[in-house]
Amino acid sequence: MLQKLIGVLIFSGILFSQTTANPQFSIVGDLVMDQLQKDPNLSSSGIEIAVQGYVNPFARADVYLHKHNDDSPIELEEAVITVERGLPFGLGLRAGKFRPDLGKINKDHAHLFPFIEAPKGISMVLGEEFYTATGLEVNWLMPLPWYSNLSIGYFNSDISDHDHGKNVSDHIDYDHEGGDSNDGHIDEEHDDGEKQLKGSSARWSHFIDLNEVNHFEFGTSYYVDHEKSFGGADFKYKWRPNKYRSLTLQGEVIQFELGDKHEEKTVHPKEVLTAGYLLVNFQFNKAWNVGVMGDFWQFDLADIHNMDPSIFIGFSPVEESAVLRIRIGQVANDHEGYDKKHLKTTAQLIWSLGPHKPHRY
Amino acid sequence: MRKLFLILSILSICFGKVRVVTSTTDLADIVKSIGGDHVTVISIARGNQDPHYIEVLPSYMIKVRKADLYFMVGMELDLWAKQVIDGSRNQKIEVVDCSVEIEKMEIPAGTVDASMGDIHRFGNPHYWLDPRNGILIAQLIAEKLTKAEPRNSDIFQQNLNAFNHQLDKAILDWQNRYTNLSGKKLIFYHNSWPYFSNRFGLETVEFLEPKPGITPSPAKLNRIIQRIKSDKIEVIASESYFSDRVPKFIASKTKVKTVKLAQSVGAIEGADSYIHLFETNLKILSKAFGVEHD
Repeated sequence: MLQKLIGVLIFSGILFSQTTANPQFSIVGDLVMDQLQKDPNLSSSGIEIAVQGYVNPFARADVYLHKHNDDSPIELEEAVITVERGLPFGLGLRAGKFRPDLGKINKDHAHLFPFIEAPKGISMVLGEEFYTATGLEVNWLMPLPWYSNLSIGYFNSDISDHDHGKNVSDHIDYDHEGGDSNDGHIDEEHDDGEKQLKGSSARWSHFIDLNEVNHFEFGTSYYVDHEKSFGGADFKYKWRPNKYRSLTLQGEVIQFELGDKHEEKTVHPKEVLTAGYLLVNFQFNKAWNVGVMGDFWQFDLADIHNMDPSIFIGFSPVEESAVLRIRIGQVANDHEGYDKKHLKTTAQLIWSLGPHKPHRY
Repeated sequence: MRKLFLILSILSICFGKVRVVTSTTDLADIVKSIGGDHVTVISIARGNQDPHYIEVLPSYMIKVRKADLYFMVGMELDLWAKQVIDGSRNQKIEVVDCSVEIEKMEIPAGTVDASMGDIHRFGNPHYWLDPRNGILIAQLIAEKLTKAEPRNSDIFQQNLNAFNHQLDKAILDWQNRYTNLSGKKLIFYHNSWPYFSNRFGLETVEFLEPKPGITPSPAKLNRIIQRIKSDKIEVIASESYFSDRVPKFIASKTKVKTVKLAQSVGAIEGADSYIHLFETNLKILSKAFGVEHD
């Protein structure tokens, strides 16, 4: 009901705004070339359609639709009204279906990353396409001398409501040496029929100008629902001496208390998933950037862990409207276990029509 | 008692000032000239940055949070300013588009799309590079400052008159001293200079960018090299934020001179005010063309 009401509000907002100006339409498409070194495969993740514009002098609306490259119907990715001016005390508001302000990269669309695939560890917490939910989020730009923003959100679905991709949990085994199978009860017959699927999120982020060309930002995030919770911390340092040169160092870590289930598999009630990534990205001229990323995750009690390093390269020949990204990295085979790795090379061409760009980080 | 008087005086000075943020240093310098001690002004873009592409940093929103006025270039040059202003959550700020009174050049006819490069639908937005347009900008700034702080209207008007007088005098002086630049052919890197060229009689024969915002290809560079040789073009001028690599490569193949000009206040040494920006650019060009005035 809430979802429908918000949908009607956003739709009517956009409709009324048509009286003065049309919203901006954009399309982002891609082509992915996977497993380039042995079994090349061409695919596309489909297209993203963005409709964006001001509803009135105080608020704007952003609608993102995704059409996957298959027979599935068009999916509503986000439909959100954002009130940025007009509320007292430096408050802002987002309402609708959107990506909550939770962690460093949850808010961003995947085509904005310098890398191709989202870090596996973060995907295991937030879902393959990250956490999107219907609800409300209040943001407070705190009256401090530096940029400090506190966001608190309440949503009608929790993070388990999302596709978490490949079943890492299948490899969880508490009987192995070093496991702690007796320290708690594992309920195999968990009934989640009556679950209240509500989630709440909070994030406090800061941005500090060290000087004209050096910037540092950091934040902490917290999420809780009826059975799970996680806390996270992130940072980003950027040195940008001129238009075409920059160095970014960015990292994030999340500790996820799983409750007693993860990816439909029963886990130890005290199990904790620790996930994170660290990346360095260097833009060395107008068109090129190169970087390295380490992506890790670990189930503490089950004592399984994984670390996948990768190199990524980005090439933007014509400003921001087309980007070629290449990733060369080590990946685990989900079926064989996480001690068997192979090298995978992936290339992705992203293009855009309109103002919503696939620009680099 | 004296201390109380001092505190009150300081408070009245602080609170009586109009807080202004501008997109570019050129607008900030004109605001300073008109507002004097009665304004505080901050520019978001630095002089040596390309105003088309400013990475929106959250710290900019803090700069705008308590501002009374925001002066933007407009004509879709500083589209990023909207994101800064929205993010600041400042409800009382007045946003002023300084292009409203400008006679625009190069308004594209017909459909505009990305095949034409980074073209601006409402015309070439580098209008501040004609000093005559500086007078129109100053007039608008004085009106808005007066509206924000009517108690200082006389001061703003006096400062406006002084600025206009100084700029009028300088324009007359430049047109006399740099008359030898009139008709000189040159190549620019990006199409930032139609207003400047129009004012000082320069003839732009080519751009290094094949289309606005597009990096020159080897084929394009080859054509330019041939043209420089055949038409005896003497100078390539570029904005301060572009790399020297392409102009220097062309210079190595021809006898062309390469220079960097100030596209904004603070872009290069000497261009430390709106008036000095023109003086510096004209000096650099006259030296490059070998028509220096004593």
